[in-house]
Amino acid sequence: MSFEVISNFIAAFFTLSIFSFLYKDNPFYKFAEAVFIGVSMGYAIPLVYQDIFIPFVYRPIFVEYKFLILIPTLIGYLITFRFSKNLSWLSRYPIAFSMAIVGMGVPLSMHSYVLVQMRSAMLPVDNINTALIFIGTVTILLYFFFSKEHKGVYGKVTNIGIWFMMVGFGASFGYTVMARISLLIGRIQFLLGDWLGLMK
Amino acid sequence: MADKKMNFFEKMQALDRRYIYLVVALAIIIPLLVPFNSKTYVTEPTENIYKKIDSFSGRNDRAVLLCFDHDASTMAELFPMEVAILRHCFERDVQVFTICFMPTAKPLMDYALQTAKEGYEVQSGVDYVNFGFRPWAIRIPTMLKMGDDISEAVEYDDEGRKLTNLPIMKEIMNYNEMNLVVDFAASAAVLSWITYARARFGANVAAGVTAVMAADNYIYLQTGQLIGMLGGLKGAAEYEKLVDVFACHMEPDENGIMQPAPRDFSKEIIKNTWIKMSDIKNRMHKTARIGMNAQTVAHLMIIVFIILGNIGYFISKRKKNKVN
Repeated sequence: MSFEVISNFIAAFFTLSIFSFLYKDNPFYKFAEAVFIGVSMGYAIPLVYQDIFIPFVYRPIFVEYKFLILIPTLIGYLITFRFSKNLSWLSRYPIAFSMAIVGMGVPLSMHSYVLVQMRSAMLPVDNINTALIFIGTVTILLYFFFSKEHKGVYGKVTNIGIWFMMVGFGASFGYTVMARISLLIGRIQFLLGDWLGLMK
Repeated sequence: MADKKMNFFEKMQALDRRYIYLVVALAIIIPLLVPFNSKTYVTEPTENIYKKIDSFSGRNDRAVLLCFDHDASTMAELFPMEVAILRHCFERDVQVFTICFMPTAKPLMDYALQTAKEGYEVQSGVDYVNFGFRPWAIRIPTMLKMGDDISEAVEYDDEGRKLTNLPIMKEIMNYNEMNLVVDFAASAAVLSWITYARARFGANVAAGVTAVMAADNYIYLQTGQLIGMLGGLKGAAEYEKLVDVFACHMEPDENGIMQPAPRDFSKEIIKNTWIKMSDIKNRMHKTARIGMNAQTVAHLMIIVFIILGNIGYFISKRKKNKVN
């Protein structure tokens, strides 16, 4: 029996064990769930050692003698002081360094998520699409303006904003259904094709 | 007694949900076992990615970077599009790089390369390079450094070779040459490419995302910050079709033997071309399209259930109002 056949059998067993929850909770499901959590953790530890510690810490310091790497490495290790009551303040230093990356992203994020988006919402209203963008943007923005009570004419305008949002939520939900069905299709394709060999 | 008074719609409302699971399972299993040729309409965001990649064909000073930002849980949606894009690159002689920042994406990236390579005489370091796994913590510095010099951002490839020594890197320096980044993600990871590679360096960014994430990314398509997008299994099916219709097109030679004859993208050709699923021998090249058959039937089932459920709801509501 080849490795592929054995691995397919194991994968099929766990797939069916997880699907068995659709009927009702049972020991097979619980077993598969526990194995999944264990394997995920077991997989992560050697992977971090092999793909992070060795190339980014061990090799530069002990093979290439780049001793400057010791500084960020030691700062990184300070995070382990979170477990100490007296020295937990030391763990804030690596967090502070990692926050720098957030600061660096602010101007670029402003550009991508705000300025470019605003520019594209300010198009001349010369066709049905731009008209819809204009009405949708304005009415939704008005809906989120809570300093004025939503009643009368203002309430009717904000109601249009709700409709626009509902259409948006509907599109998202439709896509979500499609995504979930796709995942089921993927698993069934595996069971019928790779495991049972019924698909051509 | 109470059961006898229930009409069809009320019975449907009280139906054990396990029957619905069973019907949905059958709605998926049957089309997968008996595939039919449902038509795949290709949308503009998919066309744009195809055309962009195709424009790099045969050029040593252009390359595509494929970033794998997902794990096995979303493989069903993203893997077919990854294989389709890689096949397109190998078929049309487009230089391609692959990278991932999630440890769990690494085996999927290797698997996609292995799957797409079948049948092509492509060579690592010459036609493609796998940059391998880079820790998430250095994702943004890597993206930014790639804007200056790729071989500084990623010194060694997955096989431990220095990037500067690889023939593929001869005419590739930064985003000016590696002019398209396609991010396959089940999260908002594509936004970081928009923020750092697009906004800072003007790189072209495209997304291959799960259907859940597709709606969120449409706003970036509208503003042109994404040049194209493959949304879920549907997007993958569209790309598979484009690759088969154009990049992998075959024509008979004077002896009647079918020979590869790639052709340029044309809306007319795609409108008039019909590829039978049974004509495609490799199952991995039509996974998404077969999946979309099942998807179509499952969606019809869901629509029927929603309609029945709503009718039942309104009937029982009316009954209750009458009683009161």
